[in-house]
Amino acid sequence: MSPHLHVRVGVDVPGWQEAIRAACTPLVAAGVVEPRYVDACIDMVRRHGPYVVLAPGIALPHARPEDGVVGVGVSVAVLSFPVEFGHPENDPVDVVIAFGSPDSEQHIDLLAALAGGLAEGLADRLRAASDATEATKLVQEVIEGV
Amino acid sequence: MTKGRAGEPLHVVTVCGVGMGSSLILRMTAEKAFAELGVPARVEATDVSSAKSLRPDVILGQGMHTSEFAGAAPVVLAVSNFVDAEALKRELEGPLREQGWLE
Repeated sequence: MSPHLHVRVGVDVPGWQEAIRAACTPLVAAGVVEPRYVDACIDMVRRHGPYVVLAPGIALPHARPEDGVVGVGVSVAVLSFPVEFGHPENDPVDVVIAFGSPDSEQHIDLLAALAGGLAEGLADRLRAASDATEATKLVQEVIEGV
Repeated sequence: MTKGRAGEPLHVVTVCGVGMGSSLILRMTAEKAFAELGVPARVEATDVSSAKSLRPDVILGQGMHTSEFAGAAPVVLAVSNFVDAEALKRELEGPLREQGWLE
């Protein structure tokens, strides 16, 4: 089964918590994760630091399968204005990629594809996308076949 | 016991808070970097608390995590960009040479 994918552009949020919330909400709406997953993602950053900001401008918030994940899904929020996560090198962030996986295996191919895309400039292409349809296509190209 | 280029694979651990997202992406980037350096490595992704008991040869992670690992492995390297294999390769060269794991 292919992963649930949701992409939004022009998302306007005042800070990192709202950015995580904005990225996660479509996964809740689609039934891919339970509402408590959103708080778990925020809590993970509070407890372990902004390590989810894994490259300049890019955050990958996620929590554990047992935090209420039903299926495999990824939701991208491209922000209108970058926000600070408190990362010493990679702030500010304007591409937020939330994902969930019901176990420690099912998302591996998806993440591998995303990592490959991000290494080859996917975040810049998303920033330049004029609307959600175009941005969705960009992500679909990268995760095709997963 | 010979390790690195001439011997058995290095045990490399990538860390993050959960052990299944960021650290997994760093694992893929590290596998690419070690392969390009020609240094055999077995790379494992894990969360910060499990990494401490593994006693690996190399620990990679964000600086906010690797600071907890001073002395826990011969090479502990802070990595800020988890998707840039070229940068990681450059940063690994010095420490791996120091250990005699890279010519």
